[in-house]
Amino acid sequence: MAELGRAALVVCLGLAVYALAAGGWAVVTRRRRLAASAQNALVASFATALVASLVLLVSFVRRDFSLVYVARLSSEELPTGYTLAAFWSGQEGSLLLWLLVLTGYAAAVVGLARRRRSELLPWVVPPLALVVTFFAFVLVAVSSPFATQVAPANGAGMNPSLQNPYMLAHPVFLYLGYVGLAVPWAFAIGALLARRSDEAWIISTRRWTLFAWTMLGVGQLLGAKWAYEEIGWGGYFAWDPVENAALMPWLAATAFLHSVMIQEKRGMLKVWNVLLVILAFGLSLFGTFLTRSGILTSIHSFTESPIGAWFLGFIALVAVVSLGILFARLPLLRSRTKLESLVSREATFLYNNLLLVALCLTILWGVIWPILSEAVRGEASMVGGPYYNFFLRTFGLPLLLLMGLAPLVAWRRASLRSLGASFAWPAAIALATAVVLLALGFGSSTAGLLAYTFSAFVLGSIAYEFVRGTRTRHGLDGGGWWPAFSSLVGRNRRRYGGYVVHAAIVLLALGVAGSAYDTTRSARLDPGEQLEIAGYTLTYVGVTQNTVANARELRAQVDVERDGASLGTYEPGKNFYPVEDQVSNEPAIRSEARTLGDLFLILDAANADGSIQLKAVVNPLVNLIWLAGLVFLGGALIAMWPDPAEERRLLERYALAPA
Amino acid sequence: MLALSVAAVLAVFLVYVSLAGGGTPAIQPSELDGRTETVSLGGVVVSKRGDPHSAVGMRFVLRDTKGAERVTVLYRGTTPDQFKVGRELMVKGALRNGVFVAQRDSMVTKCPSKYEPAEKST
Repeated sequence: MAELGRAALVVCLGLAVYALAAGGWAVVTRRRRLAASAQNALVASFATALVASLVLLVSFVRRDFSLVYVARLSSEELPTGYTLAAFWSGQEGSLLLWLLVLTGYAAAVVGLARRRRSELLPWVVPPLALVVTFFAFVLVAVSSPFATQVAPANGAGMNPSLQNPYMLAHPVFLYLGYVGLAVPWAFAIGALLARRSDEAWIISTRRWTLFAWTMLGVGQLLGAKWAYEEIGWGGYFAWDPVENAALMPWLAATAFLHSVMIQEKRGMLKVWNVLLVILAFGLSLFGTFLTRSGILTSIHSFTESPIGAWFLGFIALVAVVSLGILFARLPLLRSRTKLESLVSREATFLYNNLLLVALCLTILWGVIWPILSEAVRGEASMVGGPYYNFFLRTFGLPLLLLMGLAPLVAWRRASLRSLGASFAWPAAIALATAVVLLALGFGSSTAGLLAYTFSAFVLGSIAYEFVRGTRTRHGLDGGGWWPAFSSLVGRNRRRYGGYVVHAAIVLLALGVAGSAYDTTRSARLDPGEQLEIAGYTLTYVGVTQNTVANARELRAQVDVERDGASLGTYEPGKNFYPVEDQVSNEPAIRSEARTLGDLFLILDAANADGSIQLKAVVNPLVNLIWLAGLVFLGGALIAMWPDPAEERRLLERYALAPA
Repeated sequence: MLALSVAAVLAVFLVYVSLAGGGTPAIQPSELDGRTETVSLGGVVVSKRGDPHSAVGMRFVLRDTKGAERVTVLYRGTTPDQFKVGRELMVKGALRNGVFVAQRDSMVTKCPSKYEPAEKST
């Protein structure tokens, strides 16, 4: 079996090298058949990656401990459902997942672009093949999932915190996002290589980018939900470098999705867009490097693992090649128009981009600061939550405000009078919200109060846009309000899908800002003793133990009451995993449908005398974050849904536009 | 225009960094050497005794990850799931009279390859 996996990876590497060399030669010498052959090789590399992945999966299901990787990450006792999560719970399997997703994207790009007879396709193949080559090479020569050994009696088991259903979905979504950013990058590089200065690459990749960006966003929320339920400290995001690694490319891609609209509409920001797409893909590679090289522990452990050096080298290669090609093509990328006014739709997009990139780069600085300071001063220095939260407030709050302002500002040049008319309603709603919140005592957190006020403003302006649009359609088409509304959205999917995504970001901001009003209590309780928190009365009853297939489960029974009414018994606990020799926190969570907040119970310690250390956290509005994920997905789907009429419009416009 | 905005963003960043300083030093017991400012102390747990939730707190000995230098740490609050003798971890705090007094709930365990299980034999 292992031989088959190894062979599949070697063939994959061969196909990728061929696609790179033949594809490159084909565009230089303009040979169509050779270009088609390179494309076929790229599609075939997907088949080989699929074979290698299936081999690894089957080895996990059969608990074939003669594979070092399988023995290290699973055990006989591990429930079979989690073997899929075990697949990508280590370095080698994660890289194989990267390769699988990447070749999958490459095959899909080839298939779809051929159907559309895209002239760019031959130019896109070499950059894609370059990335496939790198990952296939690493898997063959540096970090093979198919290394074998004399099979031990049992494996070392899986980290208990990964034994969670979210771990079946979170990595897949995340990688669909990370890796998907390779597609717009490859198109941008391909277009530059082909000396194309038009927007064809942006139009061809809009849905790819949107898809990757959506998956990355959903993947991060799934990761946050996993951390919330599994790690069990009462939070969902901790500015951990691993979390930042996924957030940075998402922010860069968000900036890119916005600024391409300026290029489509006004022919501006051409260089900036290429830079953003390079940044987004570079950060996605950097994120993989961060999480997989061991550099996070220390610069010293980094030098011990050979994979880090290869990654760093490849990131440098991608950066140098991308920027080199961009530099060589700079004369082609002149703007067709100029910014006319600082108060215009274009300008708000520009501000949005600056803030997003600033946030992204300050996070990057925080992530690499320990590494840089250790390299420069010989002593690592770290920045923590306060650093990141400061910049989240400084750049995030203006971003939130802009989200409400931008849709109301006209293109090119906005007059103050028209601004006043459209701002009246949203501004009034925001002011009223601020007054009410102040009266309710939400002034305890200035950032929280601002976030809520701005959120009200954004929701007001989005509602205003929907109402204004529906009215106009109603006036044009007649008929009912509902048909007018659905026709409005159907005809402008990108715009109104975008507004729905904005609404999701507002929900996210509301949920995150809710953490400014958290309450935490911790106490040592004997059976029968009580703990009061935010209107809840918690009574500790006792502890029970239960043994399941691969763990011993300890649970504390806690009766929860509010206003004299019993809300049932909750069971925070800990699981002990004998094979892995690890403990896992199992918090109990009560979600309130009425207030959208959670009561979060953590069993900190169970003492020998029957007492427990109980920690209770009340998280207001936290469920808005998960709701935001669903709205986000819905909005993104609206914006992504194919719209042939719009595609034709765009293509016609660029066919006519001066080069 | 673009330059101005970039300058503004950069200014915010620089003001923050100069006011808040360049972060907390991350060091190991051998580098403590009598320093009393707040630091992030990393190392391997050698032994532990006491209850972190009790009034007197828990005491544990932390050793350099690659060395023999060690220091006693006084800790109160929550301990992560991964905490036990032999694990690598970090606590934030400052040295007081030869004992490293950690801030409440500041313990973070480090799993070298993030979510892969630590090597069993060493």
